[in-house]
Amino acid sequence: MNRYDTIYDVMVIGAGFAGMAATLFAAERGLKVAQTGATGGIDFSTGFLDLMAVHPVAEGRYWDSPWDAIDAVIAEHPGHPYARLGKDRIRTAMNDFTSFLQSQKLEYMGHEDRNTPILTPAGTVKRTYRIPRTAWKGTEALRDKAPTLIVDFNGLKGFSGRQIVEMQHKEWPRLKAVRVDFPGSFGELYPEHMAWTLSSPDRCKELADSIAEHAKDVEYIGFPAVLGLNDPVRTVTLLEELTGKHVFEIPTLPPSITGPRLRATFDRGLAPKGVCTFSQKMVLEARRDEDGLFSFLIGVPGDARTVRAKNAILASGRFFGKGLRAERTGVVEPVFGIPVTQPEQRADWHHPHFFDKQGHAINMSGIEVNDSQQPLDAAGKVLHDNLYAAGAIQAHHDWMRMKCGAGIAIATAYRAVEVITEKNGE
Amino acid sequence: MADILLLRRTARTSWYRWAMHTLIFIGFTGLLVFHALDDIISYPFISGYESTLDPWQWLRNLFGGMALAGVCLAVARRLGNRQLKAISRPQDWLLLGIVGGIMLSGFLLEATKIISPNVFDRMTESYFLPEEETDVPALQAYWSARNGVIFSPPASTDADLVAKGEELSANNCNYCHSDTASAFLSRALSTAISPAAQTLNTTHADEYFWYLHIVLALLALALMPYGKFLHPVATPANLAARGGSHTATPPLASAAARKLGLEACTRCGECSLHCSVAPAHAAIGNANILPSEKLVSLRKYADDGLSDHDADAFAEGSRICTECLRCTEICPSGINLQELWLSSKESLKQRELDGPNTTIRQCNALQWAEVLSAQGKSRFEQIKGNGLADKAESFWGCVQCTTCTSVCPVVAVSEAPAKDLDLTPQQIMNLLRMGLKDQTLAARMVWSCTTCYKCQEHCPQNIQVADILFELRQIATERLKERKLTACPLPAATSGRFSDTTRDIQGQGSDSEGGKA
Amino acid sequence: MKTLSTTVLIIGGGATGTGLARDLSLRGIRCLLVEKRDINSGASGANHGLLHSGARYVASDSEAAIECREEGEILKRLAPQCIDDTGGLFVAVPGDSEQYIADFESMCARSAIPCSPISTVEARELEPSLSDRIIAAYSVEDAAVDPFMLSLDNLAHAVSLGSEFRCNARVTNLHISNGGIERVTLHDDTTGEDFQVEAELVVNAAGAWAGNIAAMAGARINLLYSSGSLLITQNRLTTRVINRLRKPADSDILVPGGTVSVLGTTSVTIDDPDKSRPTVEEADRIIDDARAMMPILETTRYIRAYAGVRPLVLAGDSSDARNVSRGFSLIDHERDNIGNFVTITGGKLTTYRLMAEKTADLVCAKLGINARCATREVPLPASTMGRWTEPGLTAKTWLGTRDVHDQILCECEMVSRSVIDNIIDTIGSEGPNRGDSMLTAIGLRSRVGKGPCQGGFCGLRVTSHLYDRGCVQSDQGVAELKNFIERRWRGFSPILWGLPAMQADLQEALYCGMMDMELCGQRPDADALGADSMQEISALGGRE
Repeated sequence: MNRYDTIYDVMVIGAGFAGMAATLFAAERGLKVAQTGATGGIDFSTGFLDLMAVHPVAEGRYWDSPWDAIDAVIAEHPGHPYARLGKDRIRTAMNDFTSFLQSQKLEYMGHEDRNTPILTPAGTVKRTYRIPRTAWKGTEALRDKAPTLIVDFNGLKGFSGRQIVEMQHKEWPRLKAVRVDFPGSFGELYPEHMAWTLSSPDRCKELADSIAEHAKDVEYIGFPAVLGLNDPVRTVTLLEELTGKHVFEIPTLPPSITGPRLRATFDRGLAPKGVCTFSQKMVLEARRDEDGLFSFLIGVPGDARTVRAKNAILASGRFFGKGLRAERTGVVEPVFGIPVTQPEQRADWHHPHFFDKQGHAINMSGIEVNDSQQPLDAAGKVLHDNLYAAGAIQAHHDWMRMKCGAGIAIATAYRAVEVITEKNGE
Repeated sequence: MADILLLRRTARTSWYRWAMHTLIFIGFTGLLVFHALDDIISYPFISGYESTLDPWQWLRNLFGGMALAGVCLAVARRLGNRQLKAISRPQDWLLLGIVGGIMLSGFLLEATKIISPNVFDRMTESYFLPEEETDVPALQAYWSARNGVIFSPPASTDADLVAKGEELSANNCNYCHSDTASAFLSRALSTAISPAAQTLNTTHADEYFWYLHIVLALLALALMPYGKFLHPVATPANLAARGGSHTATPPLASAAARKLGLEACTRCGECSLHCSVAPAHAAIGNANILPSEKLVSLRKYADDGLSDHDADAFAEGSRICTECLRCTEICPSGINLQELWLSSKESLKQRELDGPNTTIRQCNALQWAEVLSAQGKSRFEQIKGNGLADKAESFWGCVQCTTCTSVCPVVAVSEAPAKDLDLTPQQIMNLLRMGLKDQTLAARMVWSCTTCYKCQEHCPQNIQVADILFELRQIATERLKERKLTACPLPAATSGRFSDTTRDIQGQGSDSEGGKA
Repeated sequence: MKTLSTTVLIIGGGATGTGLARDLSLRGIRCLLVEKRDINSGASGANHGLLHSGARYVASDSEAAIECREEGEILKRLAPQCIDDTGGLFVAVPGDSEQYIADFESMCARSAIPCSPISTVEARELEPSLSDRIIAAYSVEDAAVDPFMLSLDNLAHAVSLGSEFRCNARVTNLHISNGGIERVTLHDDTTGEDFQVEAELVVNAAGAWAGNIAAMAGARINLLYSSGSLLITQNRLTTRVINRLRKPADSDILVPGGTVSVLGTTSVTIDDPDKSRPTVEEADRIIDDARAMMPILETTRYIRAYAGVRPLVLAGDSSDARNVSRGFSLIDHERDNIGNFVTITGGKLTTYRLMAEKTADLVCAKLGINARCATREVPLPASTMGRWTEPGLTAKTWLGTRDVHDQILCECEMVSRSVIDNIIDTIGSEGPNRGDSMLTAIGLRSRVGKGPCQGGFCGLRVTSHLYDRGCVQSDQGVAELKNFIERRWRGFSPILWGLPAMQADLQEALYCGMMDMELCGQRPDADALGADSMQEISALGGRE
């Protein structure tokens, strides 16, 4: 039977955090899973897993405890996706997700009950819940304001050690930067190519030698996140041995390596679990037969095939992920035509100031779901009893401002799979 | 060895091909070994061998049937696949025809022998001493009833007579003859042709079929050194020579190895079916774009047998090849095609026959933009109308994420993309969006693209990056071809920073002839 | 307080002010030009970039039409580097006035404006994006002009002749005594420094803000502020200027600007020139109206919108902006008993030179200087200052240099690091022209931030480079970046559907989701967001 003839238990639409999480959880529960989706959110990710950090956004208030922040946000926004999940489930979902990554050599760190401050490539500090092990030492350096060297490279644009130092110099006087040539290259550099280069121990040695002089008086060395692709911990450990210092990574601007690392980890880890990935294919059309089976037309117009599944999880994201489409007359959900809760007119979508702390009203738009993560129609009724939605496509949150993107994606995906599994068991 | 005996590489292309090939291979080899070469192999080495005894008779039918079935599958494949049909040459059909003809004539020979009373008579005259008068009619009755000989007039069907014939046959014939039923295909065929038995028997058709069979077999033998007929020998030899390497091997192959590779081609057409630039063949029509056809030209080229016109076509095919390795990876015969292309490109280059790829590198992209834009659209472009590169919709979706450049292996292996490639894939998309198509035509990136399609596959916005790059290369080639440019007409630039623009960088220069783009 | 002295103080660094500085400098009169923000911050930078053939005004104002024709010819001859001589078409669609179409040719003839009828088939061959339903077409001699290059070249020429200019210098008071302006006090918004200027004569060339300046001297000018919004498409849709063949109205004109096209405009009366900004409603209105002329305008990708304020001098009681004269007003404030004060406002980009000439004539007369205007004959030299605003130039330069150690910082428009360095060196990283934001100053003098990403990527990369070069310290660079993004946002937010919505989603994910930039530093100050910051496109021209 080829992959187009199989009838899958679940079709996951989307290959971002929510799509990957849904696929993973479903496959781990023994369901036959198909997944579609193009390069998306996860490829542009810093690798940090945000749970919940800011509420209310208008005040820009950071929370140390994401769990307290979740309580607070639910109290004010009862429609927030977290309100339908329960903290225990969110915790389990996050742990299952990171355990899988750990099993694939992408180890995550973090405190059980609090967010951890960490540097961004702009030199700002953000708080997040789970951090790749390769970036973790950076949180210690930041916490202790330890003597630290940031290394950047001639040819890697958009990453300036000096910028980070300037942004931090008031609080962190013992932070300094150095710019060096990247081993074996000159001219313009791209993170993916750099990561391949640094998979070689010889290149790491060259790199360590080139910064040795500058690193004499520091305890930590921070690099842009280009330290290896498939097994970055090995590269970081090697650099620590070579330099005798603590080494950490700072994410870079897209195209970064932190996102592709996550993506590659899933590509590697999901296939052995029997997942059928229709890579880079988009769902053009969805049909539901009388017996409740979904038929999806996937591919590109003119070259599309049909895939059938008993259940579907819509994890297609927002505008960039193409889960929501902004038209001049309003926002629509293009695959199933699910009604989208949104401001009345386009003039109300965005705040006149981009950085206004209120955020933009359009970001609270999305589709409505019930406690089982099933999308609702305009009358508030379940649209299809075998359709679920996970991740940022749900309404009533602003993941960019509340810093809850990964958390919502992972926990809603977990819940959707849970409901599907329960139903299967009946 | 697995590659050779089990045709493992063939299995990678498709099960259909593997089945077809295995049937022919096993069937033909089997027949070759104990049937065609029975004087050399079977009689000396197998005690009691008789071609009309089982299991040999049965095996002959089995092998022959397999080979014939394989040939039928091969013909169906070539006719069924439009692309393949188009590239099939007379020699491909000739080989299939001859192999099929040998099999078919063999079966016909055997079938006509089965029904022939003449053969029966010849055998009985030579090997049977009748003791009674009814012995011959009894034997006839038995052979007619049991073994399908068709006598004229028909032999008796009396049961007693048949029983007697059976006894006689057991004592006289069975040392050398199994039941013709074990020649299951020939026997079935003989039943099928029985209505015409009279004619066939009186005309001694079996003798004609014997001649046909032998002539075809000799023809095959005579053609053996030529082209495709050598592949049953050359292919295993090539596989053995390459020691199981499935991909391009870096060490330079020797001239002999190259020659062997050329001969190993079975013209199965898989390389052309998998060729990443096959769409260019559809657009341009030059058969040399397809690896299987280019190999034919290469063989002639190697013997210096290409006319000017053919050499141009061969050079164009070579140029369009992106060295994506797909043909080498798929080739069931394990031919190191990649190496053949690289060496032939090098040779073309030395003889200054390689066309634009070298020409285009003689000047920089900006100089070429000047030359090529002065010329305007080529007839090729005018006929084809707006391509991807001319349509704004092609790049509307770009969100400037640079993923295409980031994943590009050509950029990755370039030490200094700005110098080596002029532009990265994403920059080319941006130039096209700005309407600066002419400026991209000679960018090294366009000419170094391997059409591996990583850019296109990773683009979050589904922009056809690789297709566009390929189109640009075609456009530039056509413009050069139209003007018969084989060298850059401008002196190679050694321009310093900003010096090619009309304005003075410091001060407020007054040379304002530049105007606007 | 530091005191500067000059012969003529020009207030306002738009096309008129810079043109006047050049005109006076050519007559040997030294001037100081002060601008509260940066060059072309007002309507000079926020218009179609159209060099009118005059045909648009043949029905309403034949005098203006003739002026446009004459000035267009002069500019094409003397400042070719700023002009893209595209030619233009006037096209009508079903529903447009038959009478107007019928009279058009004779009206053009009356003002001696070249105009020739062409068949609709021919028009569509020339411009395939035109609607197949057009019913009439005329060919005229419109062109596109780059107003930034124009103003920067004018200014550069003036400076080379001995005049001076200061950006970010806001006039705080005009001190009157003895029937004249004795001195002018100013505030430098970048340095916080106050200084004063003593001049023999003060010219108020503040465009839409001319009323505010005059009011400081106790003089009253009755101005109507008409805000007009325009849209920029991601790619150039036509080779020629396309005008709607009807009585001048909204959404009539599509002008190619190098690699893009500019569509507009609207006319909304506002009460404060600082409050002009494009709206969602205007963007929709422009598209809904213009798509009759070119259906692709409905589906094409837009990059941004922007708005400018036309200062219209009220002649009578009329309050409809389109009926008020598009001609300019030159006011000698002798009438308000201020002897050394002149205001020049109104007018069109196409006639900026003429406005400068008339003003300079008046200035000379008042100063008793006998010097002839030279701007009708002397070519405008191309300058370093204005060069990088030309679309596509940076891309071509990059191809020509192929410097291994250089790199592209702005991908959309292919602006390389070396070009940015060149601009930084020209501005001077410490000098007064640096302004309150180096990033914005670079944006004004190059294509940075003008492509589809609207600063989403290039803003971050250029900021990193500014830190690397030491042009910004502490959190100043990120603050400038936020400011830059806010300014782009004014034009970006009205067009956020389809692809730009995806782009904006990605931008916010980067700036806020990834880097928490909304939470660092303080909110950008309201003043910085006041007037629209122009400089949207590069090849531009006359306000209609």
